[in-house]
Amino acid sequence: MRFLSGIFEKRKTELDEEIQAHIRMDVQNRMERGESNEEAYAAAMKEFGNVPLIKDATHESWRWRRMERLGQDLRYALRSFRRSPGFAVTVIVTLAVGIGSTCAMFTVVDHVLLRSLPYQSPSQLIDVREAGKKGVVNFGSPFLDIQQWRKRSRSLQEIAFYDANKHVSFLEGNTGAMQVSAPKVSAGLFRTLGVHPAMGRGFDERQDTGSVKPEDARMLILSDAVWRGIYGGDEAIIGKTVRLNGESYTVSGVMPREFGFPSGGSLPQVWMPVVLGSKDAVRTRNVTPNYQVIARLKAGTSMRDAEAELKVIQSEVAKDYADPYDREQVTSVSLQRYGDSLVKGDLRKALLALFGASSLLWLIACVNVTSLMLARATTRQREIAVRGALGASRWQIVQQLLIEGLLLSGFASVLGIGMAMGTLKLFEHGLTTQFHIYGRLVPNMSVIGVLLGLTVISALFTSMWPAIGAAKASIEPALRQGSQQNGAGRGQHRARTLLVITEISMSLTLLVGCGLLLRSIYALKHVSLGFRTQHVIVANMTIPAYKFEGRDMRTELYEPLVERVQHLPGVQSAALMTEVPLGKTFQMEFSLGVSGNSAAEVRRRDMRAQFRAVGPETQKVFGFRMLKGRFFNEGDTPSSQGVVVVNRAFVKEYFGDDRDPGAILGESLMSLDKNRQAVVVGVLDDTRQTSVAQQSQPEIQVCLSQITPNSSFYRGIEGIAMDLAVRTERSPALVIPELRKLMVDASPELSASEFKTMDQVVEDSYGSQRLAARLLLIFGGSALLLCIAGIYGLLAYLVAQRTRELGLRMALGAQREDVMWLVLRQAGGMLTAGICIGVALAYLGSLGLKMFLYGVTPSDPWTMGAVTFLLLAGGMAAAYVPARRAAMIDPMQALRTD
Amino acid sequence: MSTSMIGRNQYRNRIELLQGTLDMLILRALQWGPAHGYGIVQTLRSTSGDALQVETGSLYPALHRLERQGWVSAEWKLTESNQRAKFYRITPTGKKQLAADLGRWQQMVDVIGSIMRGVPDGDRA
Repeated sequence: MRFLSGIFEKRKTELDEEIQAHIRMDVQNRMERGESNEEAYAAAMKEFGNVPLIKDATHESWRWRRMERLGQDLRYALRSFRRSPGFAVTVIVTLAVGIGSTCAMFTVVDHVLLRSLPYQSPSQLIDVREAGKKGVVNFGSPFLDIQQWRKRSRSLQEIAFYDANKHVSFLEGNTGAMQVSAPKVSAGLFRTLGVHPAMGRGFDERQDTGSVKPEDARMLILSDAVWRGIYGGDEAIIGKTVRLNGESYTVSGVMPREFGFPSGGSLPQVWMPVVLGSKDAVRTRNVTPNYQVIARLKAGTSMRDAEAELKVIQSEVAKDYADPYDREQVTSVSLQRYGDSLVKGDLRKALLALFGASSLLWLIACVNVTSLMLARATTRQREIAVRGALGASRWQIVQQLLIEGLLLSGFASVLGIGMAMGTLKLFEHGLTTQFHIYGRLVPNMSVIGVLLGLTVISALFTSMWPAIGAAKASIEPALRQGSQQNGAGRGQHRARTLLVITEISMSLTLLVGCGLLLRSIYALKHVSLGFRTQHVIVANMTIPAYKFEGRDMRTELYEPLVERVQHLPGVQSAALMTEVPLGKTFQMEFSLGVSGNSAAEVRRRDMRAQFRAVGPETQKVFGFRMLKGRFFNEGDTPSSQGVVVVNRAFVKEYFGDDRDPGAILGESLMSLDKNRQAVVVGVLDDTRQTSVAQQSQPEIQVCLSQITPNSSFYRGIEGIAMDLAVRTERSPALVIPELRKLMVDASPELSASEFKTMDQVVEDSYGSQRLAARLLLIFGGSALLLCIAGIYGLLAYLVAQRTRELGLRMALGAQREDVMWLVLRQAGGMLTAGICIGVALAYLGSLGLKMFLYGVTPSDPWTMGAVTFLLLAGGMAAAYVPARRAAMIDPMQALRTD
Repeated sequence: MSTSMIGRNQYRNRIELLQGTLDMLILRALQWGPAHGYGIVQTLRSTSGDALQVETGSLYPALHRLERQGWVSAEWKLTESNQRAKFYRITPTGKKQLAADLGRWQQMVDVIGSIMRGVPDGDRA
């Protein structure tokens, strides 16, 4: 602004000089013709005319004139804020709360739902999965099926496949091994995504299969992060040899910055080639590798067309399956946009619900400010009337008031973006883990765009109505009025009452959501988990599986490690298991592969259960309760009878009856390897396995010490996931460094293992509820405060306006209680109306929260009741102050004030 | 309305009356060479045989408008009598504009002239 007025000042002095020069020249001319100095000057001035008017007329022709007016309006607005700082601060803080919360939530929405994938036209990329009797198959498809799609599909431009490879891999650099994720990709994958290596080349393609030529089997493509992070951005990296999981690879290319695939992992990536082998030439369960499929639609083809076509093809493909059971699982296909496949539907809903909540808070803030602005317009009626009388047009008055609004919301958005950053920082851990965000949560350009939009809309929302009202008001009565009393009409009171009612109903909606979540958390905290969590430390180990290729990991790594941990001072027990309860790092599912066609055998083939390999000490660590039989013990060795333990849910699901769980003991369910059948020796009581909110699922456990490399379960313990659980009374802060040291001694790569207490694992399991509850607590709490402020503001204003009327009533015999009651009744009316509307809104709103709720229904009467009471109490408390003030009015004084 | 508003409106009306013609006259005056505001007034007065006195209240807004439209450019220079003054110079687009204005003006003069020279029907009878 100073810059602008600088330009004006310069131009104005220039014009001054120009005019002075004109007059001087005229005077000089006249004097040359013989006139005296005075005569000449007077004549020149007379001929020139009215200097200030001419200046004004000339100013009008400047382009910057408009800006200058704007500057004037801005200066005027700032002056008026300085005169009533309380009003300005209230408005700014109120709007900042609304804008800030919306901005913070939008930043999350933007990162999770709106992020643009770093691929060419990402909306054409689709994820293809087989589907059948048991729903969508999520673990991938064999190459033979994919090959059929490649050959026959006309609607897909490219079909690529990959093995996401959940193992942690170790890439050796100059400074030690780095954990990376190393998906295997087909040769056409990068082409399908429309991204090409920034340096070097991709993998050479076998035209007939789309896989990578065997010559390139030892090639590796690096991500930009790995290239810079491990190899220091070495320009000559192409063709160099690097070691991944202990094997040599030649770097063939480096991908551009920002590129990652599959999208959304926390580890830096490198890509290995998919080279087909003999196992890809058959469809044998647990032998043939499965691949995920990503395809690009042909331009102009819709996903529905592609799905219809692939369904027809797949029905043919399914016929090639020899095993009727396997065939049933893959009779159809399911297509999804790749971007959509990255975010689960319920997560999307939950996120939108939270975003909705923040927008609601913004609306409440706007409503509150509108009400304030209306009140202010009333007190400024005379000022505005004077401006009108001095010649300001209606449009100029509206413009002035709008600029004031814009300035206020501008300040608010600056404060708001600060609040948003603060909120994001505060909730960073929760938000990033719950919504799987990798990278930093900072507002980007689209967030800034939304912020600007919010600023302008807030300004229009809050000032348009008061501004138009003020401009429309006739000047004369406002000027003639002596006092500020009875300034506003009935219509305006009604408008403000309506605004407050709206505010109450919206706040109730937020508070009910918050209440429901708090109840859910309370319920979750009191769920009986079925195991002990205190004094247990868990390490999620990062196992360098490649180092133990061809050796027995159990005898060479796991058992010696557990042995040493058990001998640490203060350690009561320690055990390994593929996954601790409620740990979310990895889950194994197991289906019994019995062949045979008797009724019992067919039923068993449908058995699916969670699968864990656990050490015999596990029960001591977690205190699982046995319903029947025994848990594993030291007597279970590779050479003894194979044994398994199942849980109660397993018995109930597959044996139809859990009244006598002991009946399953001695059943032979599966074989550990070719020669060893495993019998059920025990039944565990139910526990919460994957989430506190989820009921117990069927589960089957095998004993870690019975798994040998020739067992079909060996792959499961090979290092995809293994947790060490330690029970100790000593403080985790002391024990964890000792544990870490033991691990590093066993294998240096284990130093990256993650330690947590079991209590933390349990808490993290309902992290989404806790996050949502905390956010809603903030939103709801702010809404409640705004709401109370709104009620107080309106009533205080009304009482001030009606001082004379109330004084008159009292002079005529009204009691103080009557006057107080008059004000309180008004508050009661607004609260009742607001709450009635709010309860209906709240019910609808809570349906969106369903995914978060546990042990409580969206229409929970207790929550509704408590929230209603809270609002009523808060509202009445807010009304009490002005009501008391009204009752304290001294009639004589009130009547004497003009 | 206040008096000042009325005063300003009067000026506006006068500018509007003269606008098209005044612009043309200014551009024409500048065709003889760059000149300052006072010079333009003098030129127009002398070339019109003292018949036309351009109001400064119209001249300066018009000059600044022409400058904004890019038909004239301005720079501060010294006059022959060593006075600092703002000299205006016609630009190529200004010349084009002048040619167009002149054509229209000529047309109008012809049309009005033929009407005024013509004998009314009533007189002939």
